[in-house]
Amino acid sequence: MKRIVPLLIAAMAGYVLVASRFIPLAEKWGEVEAIWFDVLAAIAFVLGGGSLLKLHLRKISDRTTGWGYSAITLAAFLGTLYVGVAKTGARPSQEQEFYGQSFAPLTMDDLPPSLTYRVPGSIPMRADGEPLPLGVQRQLSQGSGDIVFRGWMSTKQEADLSDYKDELAWRCTVEKLFDTAQPPAALKGKVSYLADYSRLGFRGYMTDADHEALLKLGSNGPFVAAVEALWTASRLETEVPVEKLPAGFSIPAASRTYLSYDEATHKLGIRGPMSTALRDELARDHFPLVRPMTAEQRAAFVNNLESHGGKLSELQAQTLDAALAKAWSIDGLQFALNEAGHAVPAEKSACELYQEQQSRKSGSATAPKTAAPKPEPDVKLNDRQRAAIGEFVRERTETVDDLAARLKAAGPFTANQKSALQEFFGKVPTVGEQKLNACIDLLRIGPLTREQRDFLRNDYREQSQWRRTVGDLFVKAHKVKYPWSGQYNSPGSWFGWAYEYVFKPCTATIFSLLAFYVASAAFRAFRAKNVEALLLLGTAFIILLSQTFAGYWLTSWLPSDPQQNLLAWLRMENLKILIMRVFTTAGTRAIMIGIALGIASTSIKIMLGQDRSYVGRD
Amino acid sequence: MRFNWDNIDRRWIFLMMGLTVAGPILWQLAFPEIPTPYARSVFDAIEKLQPGDKVLVAFDYDPASEAELGPMATDFVHHCCEKKVKMYFISLWPVGPVMVQDAIRNIIEADYPQMVYGQDYVNLGYKSGYEGVIKVIVTDLRSLYPTDTRGSSIDQIPMCRDVKNIQSMKLIIDVSAGYAGAKEWTQYAAVPYADKMKLVTGSTGVQSPQLFPYLPDQMAGLLGGIKGAAEYEKLVNEKYSGPTPAPKYQEALRRMGPQLFAHLLMIGLIIAGNVIYFTQRRRGGRTR
Repeated sequence: MKRIVPLLIAAMAGYVLVASRFIPLAEKWGEVEAIWFDVLAAIAFVLGGGSLLKLHLRKISDRTTGWGYSAITLAAFLGTLYVGVAKTGARPSQEQEFYGQSFAPLTMDDLPPSLTYRVPGSIPMRADGEPLPLGVQRQLSQGSGDIVFRGWMSTKQEADLSDYKDELAWRCTVEKLFDTAQPPAALKGKVSYLADYSRLGFRGYMTDADHEALLKLGSNGPFVAAVEALWTASRLETEVPVEKLPAGFSIPAASRTYLSYDEATHKLGIRGPMSTALRDELARDHFPLVRPMTAEQRAAFVNNLESHGGKLSELQAQTLDAALAKAWSIDGLQFALNEAGHAVPAEKSACELYQEQQSRKSGSATAPKTAAPKPEPDVKLNDRQRAAIGEFVRERTETVDDLAARLKAAGPFTANQKSALQEFFGKVPTVGEQKLNACIDLLRIGPLTREQRDFLRNDYREQSQWRRTVGDLFVKAHKVKYPWSGQYNSPGSWFGWAYEYVFKPCTATIFSLLAFYVASAAFRAFRAKNVEALLLLGTAFIILLSQTFAGYWLTSWLPSDPQQNLLAWLRMENLKILIMRVFTTAGTRAIMIGIALGIASTSIKIMLGQDRSYVGRD
Repeated sequence: MRFNWDNIDRRWIFLMMGLTVAGPILWQLAFPEIPTPYARSVFDAIEKLQPGDKVLVAFDYDPASEAELGPMATDFVHHCCEKKVKMYFISLWPVGPVMVQDAIRNIIEADYPQMVYGQDYVNLGYKSGYEGVIKVIVTDLRSLYPTDTRGSSIDQIPMCRDVKNIQSMKLIIDVSAGYAGAKEWTQYAAVPYADKMKLVTGSTGVQSPQLFPYLPDQMAGLLGGIKGAAEYEKLVNEKYSGPTPAPKYQEALRRMGPQLFAHLLMIGLIIAGNVIYFTQRRRGGRTR
């Protein structure tokens, strides 16, 4: 029995694989078997680990020769296993942390009735049997002629659901459902329900009004408890000490309800979590951005730098001038804003298109035809706005928000243009970053005095210190939601560290040792003792030379095209191809065919139960 | 240590090899490369792709062969980014995903920040099972890869939604250091579905001779060792990197310097060994 079961398993597996290869209907069997193979492989890993433990523990216990190496092997094995499984030091996955949001547990069953939304219709079935998108499966259901959705629908869920079936009627239904399954206007963009996580989420700081609006949505115990938990979490106060405030720092007007700076204690504080957008805005907004410089301004900068130490070399002066000249241009900004001012053609909604389709089908001449919404006219920068941009460059003290306000005051300025303005300046480096880059460029080609280096780096140091302060506040205000969600080998994790600094160099070193041993072996053993050895030696010379530029160089005087001149075959690169294509291929093919025949005959013997050697002896 | 050609201490040879390899690295010696038809066929196979075509990129190697295969992996990803194809990274080796992660961080995130994870590239990670994995995913990707390495459901990844199996790939690129690798991709994917997808591979110099029988019918192109990588790198840089390619896109060419001198040393040692052998034989002395 001990032998028959494995024999039967092996034989059955063999028959299934053969059947799945030749019979289309049995193709799936092969896949299932491959998955089972995967399961067995996992068990084999466990057995392998056990075997390794047993072997080395015995060596250590018996104090046999080399037991110290066994101890190291065991320590490395257990250590790696632990840091990998426990994900020691691995940061949580950024996608799972929902920065800037607070979460409270709330199951689907505990959602209040006001969060159940319905539209008339039925969920269609796809011809290919594809199920509903995973992201909506838990929240969407069919109930007495209505499509029912529980919780609020996100734009991503709407897109997924809409793509589920490419029919206007379905898209129109999804559109209606999306419009219905939204939080009240006062809470829009602030609250969310994540069914897959069973969490009620709130973005940022919760005001009293938000709190009341949320409580109005339901009165059942779990929901109220979740709202209260959110209320507490989204108002938690966090503070960090500030070493030095950036010049002209002030809390942005929109953030004053939850962001504060205590001048007495020099502490920056926030209530509730901080979003990544707020973090980036706070870290960067108070540092001047690079503006285009005239040749005179650049020359003055070079003089200023030279006044902090020795004179720059000619190459350094040119490099610095080039680094300073590398900035955005007024024309580029105007172009970006004018492009953003182009009216976007308004599109009809799915329901409007569906209505038109139905009208066409019914053939009614009087059927209402919905007109596409009239597009807004194009908006281009006027003279006053262009002058405001010029002034922004000259003045060098205005912020991007100031510029946006001036552009709006000077003429029509759309929301798209404002976004384009912010996007444009989001990519512009700060003066500190520009000076640091210039410092690196200059140091690459020559020395700078300490004073010069400090002059070029001090602005960035100040910016970097402030960014660290804001970063500390961001981290401190964030409550980790899923600590185990990160990857075990992410940079910074213990496993990642061991991989990068132990495993990788060790394996690369062992492999590299090959070059040293091959060289020694070649010297000692590669002797032309007979004709066969001579042939091998000749081939080795050709391959060794043709694998480098030396081979090409040595025979470059020969004609290059073997089709036109037979002498070209003597070029090293052509000789190598000839050897590989003809001799190597022929030899390898013969070996491969032999192996394949051997595998086939052994397999047949195993499947027929003739070969039982692999199960061992009784 | 005693220097005696007749019975030279092996440590002298090790020292010579060390210096021979270190010299070109320290002086950054690089030599021109002339692409062979093999490298050209790999380059052409990727060049023929259209923006948006799906490409399966399998990194079946580990740090031991990183020195030889890393540069060609870099060049493959660089080339694919320039061609704006969609890349599906996968690995049949346990540490392969780390290699993938390195490529993503050093090439895609650094030089192609406009490419979006999940839309332009995805890391499906490692699955155990060797050729068994290939056999399954050629007909059903989801049964083995329900998620990517980040744990996101494959249905939530836009570029994976319409991928039922890897037959929808236009090309498979495999960087292979052994088993499971290029041979298995040829036998279980490229050959049975030859009308649907092509395969190009980059392999270690040692493995290349075993793969030549598959050229050019079952395998569209093959880069053998660092030499193949350098030839391919030259083609990619000529077309896409401008006059001064970034150092990371010249790694294969840079490694050809040490290879040239190491090979010359080997030839020199073989010749020296034979001279000693024949001299001793003529003298009637003991030969080894």
